[in-house]
Amino acid sequence: MEIIAKISRGTKMDQVYIPKARSGLEAGSYVIIKPLATEQINEKARLKPYFYGIKEIEPIKLDIINKTFDIIEKYADPQNIIITGSFLNSGFNFNDLDILIISKETNTKIIEKKLQSSIGIKPHILVLDKKNLEVGLSTDPLYLSMISKCVTKGRLIFNTKREINYKILDIHLLKSEPLIYSFDILNGEQKYYLIRNLISIKLFIENRNVDNLGIDREILKLFKIDKINIIKENMLNKKKFIEIYKEIYKQTQKNVFNFIKNDSK
Amino acid sequence: MIQNRNKLIELLIGNLSNFAVHKILEKSINKPELTSKYQKESINSFNISLAYRNKVNPIDKPLSNTDISYIKIKISNRVNSELSFRISKGYENIDLTLINHEIEKVLKELKIF
Repeated sequence: MEIIAKISRGTKMDQVYIPKARSGLEAGSYVIIKPLATEQINEKARLKPYFYGIKEIEPIKLDIINKTFDIIEKYADPQNIIITGSFLNSGFNFNDLDILIISKETNTKIIEKKLQSSIGIKPHILVLDKKNLEVGLSTDPLYLSMISKCVTKGRLIFNTKREINYKILDIHLLKSEPLIYSFDILNGEQKYYLIRNLISIKLFIENRNVDNLGIDREILKLFKIDKINIIKENMLNKKKFIEIYKEIYKQTQKNVFNFIKNDSK
Repeated sequence: MIQNRNKLIELLIGNLSNFAVHKILEKSINKPELTSKYQKESINSFNISLAYRNKVNPIDKPLSNTDISYIKIKISNRVNSELSFRISKGYENIDLTLINHEIEKVLKELKIF
């Protein structure tokens, strides 16, 4: 493992800061520091991923991410690659690897096949060009929540302004309705997904930040629960929960439909 | 076991209702960026419905007449109520006469009917 870092000036001693998200180079281990040629710096800097909304990541996941970037770049010419979804949550309780490739055209089948055989995790690939991603980010809370926690190949630079399209929000809101009448049938993870979806739309309409942490905080506050795991482990009090959920759903739907008169139908 | 079957049928109804709502909403608009979103949602709902259908016996034969009429009525009521609500709020070009056609079509595709 090699890391390129810069010597920064301190008061009593100078120091070299290295990212917490790294594979290897444990705290307490001895390392050699030596100067680097400029061309090597540029080459290594190119390989360093960007982290958004992530404080820590397991070293093995970082290796998988780097391998994923290498494979995709071998078979496509992406403007950027975004890794998102449950893979980035701490622990190993994920089903697949969500990858967003920013590109005009990419053959995902070959990449899926290569990734599956190389890293052994089922990839879920979405290809979008930058323009469509920007449209998504300005109109769709799901896109915002998706990039609020991600690892990317290149830096994320977007110029978007939030726009309310009631039909798009209505499509997403409809997904959360089954929780009202299928509470007993759905498992904890399914419930959590539907609640998150509803709350992300609520935050979006209220012009508040739609990020994973913000969504979870709002869930805890609105449903008066201490931990998100109460939902994930299917331990919710049905009567109390449904009462609040219905109210939020109705209010959010009302707010979405209030935009009908302002929008071109 | 019977309870499981009833639960599966309820899940099937929920997802097929979502499928039909999105299909009819898709036909009410003429904007490609929205059409693709409706299509995506209806495909999702169809695939989930298919997974539930494959767990409800008899798998390779139509369900009993009692089951069929229960499923049809429940889906029809749910779809009607969702769409009528949207019409009342200002959605345009929603054709409620398509409901029965969409339901029958998808029930046949899933060998429920």
